[in-house]
Amino acid sequence: METVLYLDELSKKFGSLQAVDRLTLQVEAGSIYGLLGPNGSGKTTTLGMVLDVIRPSGGSYLWFGRSISNETKQRVGALLETPNFYPYLTAKANLQVVADTKQADHRHINKMLDMVGLGTRSHTTFKGFSLGMKQRLALAAAMLNDPEVLVLDEPTNGLDPQGIAEVRDLITRIAAQGKTILLASHLLDEVEKVCTHVAVLQSGKLKANGPVGDILSAQDQLLISAEELAPVLQLLERLPYVVRFAQDKNTISLTLSEGYTSTDLNRDMFAQGIVLSQLLVRRKSLEAQFLEITQK
Amino acid sequence: MNLIKTELRKILQYPTFWVIMATYVLLQVLLIYFSSSFMVSGQSLGKSLYDFPNLWMRFSYIAYFFNLLLGILVIVLITDEYSYRTLRQQVIDGRSRTEAVLAKFYVTLGLAATGTIFLLIMGLLFGLIYSKDTSIGAIFGKIDYLSYFFVQAVGYMCLAMFFAFLIRKSGLAIIAFLAWSKIVEPIIHYQIDDSIDRFMPMKVFGSLTPTPGQEIIDGLTSPTLALSPAWAVLPALFYIALLVLASILLVRLRDL
Repeated sequence: METVLYLDELSKKFGSLQAVDRLTLQVEAGSIYGLLGPNGSGKTTTLGMVLDVIRPSGGSYLWFGRSISNETKQRVGALLETPNFYPYLTAKANLQVVADTKQADHRHINKMLDMVGLGTRSHTTFKGFSLGMKQRLALAAAMLNDPEVLVLDEPTNGLDPQGIAEVRDLITRIAAQGKTILLASHLLDEVEKVCTHVAVLQSGKLKANGPVGDILSAQDQLLISAEELAPVLQLLERLPYVVRFAQDKNTISLTLSEGYTSTDLNRDMFAQGIVLSQLLVRRKSLEAQFLEITQK
Repeated sequence: MNLIKTELRKILQYPTFWVIMATYVLLQVLLIYFSSSFMVSGQSLGKSLYDFPNLWMRFSYIAYFFNLLLGILVIVLITDEYSYRTLRQQVIDGRSRTEAVLAKFYVTLGLAATGTIFLLIMGLLFGLIYSKDTSIGAIFGKIDYLSYFFVQAVGYMCLAMFFAFLIRKSGLAIIAFLAWSKIVEPIIHYQIDDSIDRFMPMKVFGSLTPTPGQEIIDGLTSPTLALSPAWAVLPALFYIALLVLASILLVRLRDL
């Protein structure tokens, strides 16, 4: 598969603060790549560097296998932090400025305004827009010349539930057209719902990356207890599919390797004459998983 | 061409632009009109002020004061791009940083051209009405002063552009621009020898539109060593190039 964006040991220092620390990752064509991390973890700085507005202190990056130029920029639609427009210009005039810069066809402007639901407001000046409308105008601008890649920084930030749903729906619709999307977010469920791949950042460091299923949907945890814990512990030692277990007073918590469920465990226990008094499957919350990743 | 088209889209729909330009035109018309009643050594200057061909020299000297206004306009246009974050958006969307600066340089050229054409119209208007001599030779006798004024206006605006890209905040950039051109550099002029300070930027730009009647003053006191307008063009172009290059360098080396 073609690599759309490749980061090689990319770093940024602001004074004594290491905002991004030797970040290496690659985004494949067609993926929805989530950049996940708490506020201040270096997501925006990373996007700023690959979008040519923040100068890296070290490392390099390549778009479509080559260094950044006006030509590669025009293949990428991006929305960094806030929607940036001239407040005194109308929605349409603002998009005309963007179309000039991207060398996009001006005939797309009305179509894009319609797509984000601003068709009837094209002659309203930008300063008269609500936050949600501003965000939608920014999405229209980002998609003006039908780019292969979309870079979105916290696209649902500050929106009301309806606005969030609309933007997410828009993203999924765009992704369905086979476009690559790079999405920065601090919202776990957003990344889990929308993305195919994820990189977890903390304090500028890459903590984990890979397909969302591998990173965020870790194995479920089981809690068991029995009258006598000693034979249970002995058996757990010998069961090959138990990844780890730990005793906590009267209960034992354990994780099973992939493909095994509580049924397997219960059957094996019973076969050895052990009757469990409690068997509880606990799905780890996204938050718990995230904390686990970032505290490694 | 694309750069200029985009700049025009932004500027022509900007109310602040029209307010500053209206102020520029109005104040200049007033000053040109009422300067004939100024008193010099107990005598009113009178309508002789509008005589061709010296009119071009006098008018460009009057217009010289209004370059500050053009400079402030340039600062507003550039610092706006920082406060709206539109400069960074344009670099994201498909422009190089050098192009972003060049676009503003083209704006200064456009504004200087506008100012020069305005001066030409004012000169022809007042001259044809009041001048004693309206022969072709007289009308176009010293019209080269308009080109000196053009270079001067570009120079002033490039200095403003440099401060705008350096400071990025409109208020502070305007203060720095006014402080340098009207206070700091003049103080330096007093401290150093005329033979050197005549090559300093504001002095060079000033030399392009000499004070009318300077020759008379020179006759009474010791002559100044200021460069003649024609001689000041070369160092002025040098400073313009330097300021544009410095602006490009600033924008290329910093985060947006």
